[in-house]
Amino acid sequence: MNSSLIRVLASATLLAAIGTGCETVNTSEPAQPAFQRNMVSEKRVITDASLARRVQVQGINVSEGPGGFLKVQAEILNTTRSYQRFAYKWEWFDKDGNLVEGPASVAVTRQVEGKESLFLQGVAPNAAVRDFRLKLYENAR
Amino acid sequence: MNRAFVPTAIALATAAFLGGCATQTTYVDPGSTRTITNVGELNVQDWNMASEAMVNSLIAKHINSGALKGSGPDGRAVLAISRIVNSTSLQIDTDVLVKKIRVSLLGTGKVVADITAGLGGPEDPLAAEAKREQQFLGTQKVAPRPDYTLSGKIIENRTRQGNKSESTYIFQMALATRDGLAVWEEEKTITKQGKRSAVGW
Repeated sequence: MNSSLIRVLASATLLAAIGTGCETVNTSEPAQPAFQRNMVSEKRVITDASLARRVQVQGINVSEGPGGFLKVQAEILNTTRSYQRFAYKWEWFDKDGNLVEGPASVAVTRQVEGKESLFLQGVAPNAAVRDFRLKLYENAR
Repeated sequence: MNRAFVPTAIALATAAFLGGCATQTTYVDPGSTRTITNVGELNVQDWNMASEAMVNSLIAKHINSGALKGSGPDGRAVLAISRIVNSTSLQIDTDVLVKKIRVSLLGTGKVVADITAGLGGPEDPLAAEAKREQQFLGTQKVAPRPDYTLSGKIIENRTRQGNKSESTYIFQMALATRDGLAVWEEEKTITKQGKRSAVGW
């Protein structure tokens, strides 16, 4: 009697613990989007496989405004069922491959719910920028 | 044997004690997420994130759209900094934010900053004096007026529940034309949660 009660209580506690740890996001969108993204083929260098498994880059698209500034958007997906924290940073390069740095070239922390996708947007610091790189970090804090 | 052991043990204990007292200082990249953050203060990461959001928004919504009009050199827009109100309980220097934004805007090649105009007096008194001299001597007939002014406010909101405390900092900025019309506005909210400290907030 006692052992079965303990089993039931343990199972309930375990299910509750699992339930609270997994809060995923349901999304819906038009089946035929009204936009067409200019996707770019990317090269990925993955050194943190654990982060790459949890927070994945689904695709990157670029556009350019009348001012000539490159605008980049990356779609990120949390492949897990739990809340994840990460940081990202854009790096910008001119036509000669030189890094264009500024005070706004910093790592930004983001949070993403389980199975949620979000967009990271970056704008080039000046019109001379022709290329970019997106870095994803395991959030230190 | 025992006599030799005791001084050795004392020496080792002293070395361990002194070693434990030594502080280890390391340099960290201020643009990374390795800097110290806490709930009750505005930290380097917060300023970084706020300025990054403001600069990105200003470039994307106003500069890259081609809406920026300027009367400065090479058609660049002349920007002056207006009042940035600190509405938090913290003693902060708003220049931490404003300077980052100004440096980034200058880097776009589309904006120049007027450092002779300011509410609390010119930022560069010597430049202001030289400008006045030029006007007096007639080498510069009309003093260029700023095409845009940048103003803002930083607001703080604190709350707690149980042993958890939360601080929210809201950064609001607006860019206005000479006519006083706001052509760009942005708000960035940063919320931090942490366990309540045993002492103080």
